[in-house]
Amino acid sequence: MPEPATFRNEQASMIGIGEYRVGSFPMITIGLGSCIGLTLYDPNLKLGAMVHIMLPESGGRADRPGKYADTAVPLMVRELVALGCKNRSIVAKIAGGACMFEYFGTGLNIGERNAEKVRVLLKECHIQLCAEDVGGKVGRSVTFLPADSGRVMIRRADGSLNNL
Amino acid sequence: MKLSEVQADAIQELGNIGAAHAATTLSIMLGSTIGMSVPSIKVVDLSQLGEYMGEESAAMVAFELQGEIPHGGYILFYITRESAVRLTNTMLGLTETNRPLDEMDQSALIEVGNIMVSAFLDATAELLGLVMLPSPPSLTVDMAHAAMQSLIAQLHEETNEVLLFSTELVCEEHRIDSDIIMMPETSTLVRIVELLENMVKV
Repeated sequence: MPEPATFRNEQASMIGIGEYRVGSFPMITIGLGSCIGLTLYDPNLKLGAMVHIMLPESGGRADRPGKYADTAVPLMVRELVALGCKNRSIVAKIAGGACMFEYFGTGLNIGERNAEKVRVLLKECHIQLCAEDVGGKVGRSVTFLPADSGRVMIRRADGSLNNL
Repeated sequence: MKLSEVQADAIQELGNIGAAHAATTLSIMLGSTIGMSVPSIKVVDLSQLGEYMGEESAAMVAFELQGEIPHGGYILFYITRESAVRLTNTMLGLTETNRPLDEMDQSALIEVGNIMVSAFLDATAELLGLVMLPSPPSLTVDMAHAAMQSLIAQLHEETNEVLLFSTELVCEEHRIDSDIIMMPETSTLVRIVELLENMVKV
């Protein structure tokens, strides 16, 4: 399957660990392991937001809100609402939350905790989670195209691509 | 934490000694000459990790650093997927390079990682008098960024930047390119710097 031209678009914004963006331009996160790539999309305004979350709880730290689920989710929603989006029209998709190393996973599966925390927080914010590709022992790169109906494409290390 | 030039030099020297021992063991295992780079020390902001470790497929054997400092950080044997196949081919007497890494390959990679990391940590322990024991190994063959990110998320001390301390080991004969990468917790780094400074004083 050939790669879509947009997958390696020069203008796509690369979102590193703990970073987020809001807008209608293409956004990319590469190599999600236990991290979560969360996308929010409002089909009415064709606006989206993407964040690269690393840990479930901030424990009161406020310097990098995008890094923690409990600060990132409310922030993303506030940003979109400030631009005129309505909570009930926003749809969310999540990817990542894997456990890359088996031995270290014992009793401390950060990927799973990240995914669960994001699900709970989305519910609290009344945001519909419409699709997810989480868990397992696999890395994922995510391309988010707000201008293309909020399309989310996921690529794995074996080169396989799927739409969420 | 910020390292002074003297501290960075000292750590580089420590890496040199550790990596030289690891290179010797690899050289014996492959029956071939191993070249070694000057160890590099990088302080990387989490948001920029993608510039150092990308989507490339690699085999990584990771170990937690244990011992005197119970959760001292991580050390890993990193080898690109293509090199990993050539490495196990050389060890197992195979020639086909266009193939998946099966169970036999994975056991071999874990074993190589184990031997090299143990050699590295033995050498640094002898020099510093700081015992850093490797945990049992854990292997993943996937996107480098995904693996590294997962280890960073498991660090005990919450941080926005990590210190990546890496040495490249290359076998030209078999076109094998690998790295030993150490990512110490801040407490480990502080202890290493302290011990190195004491050595210089004596």
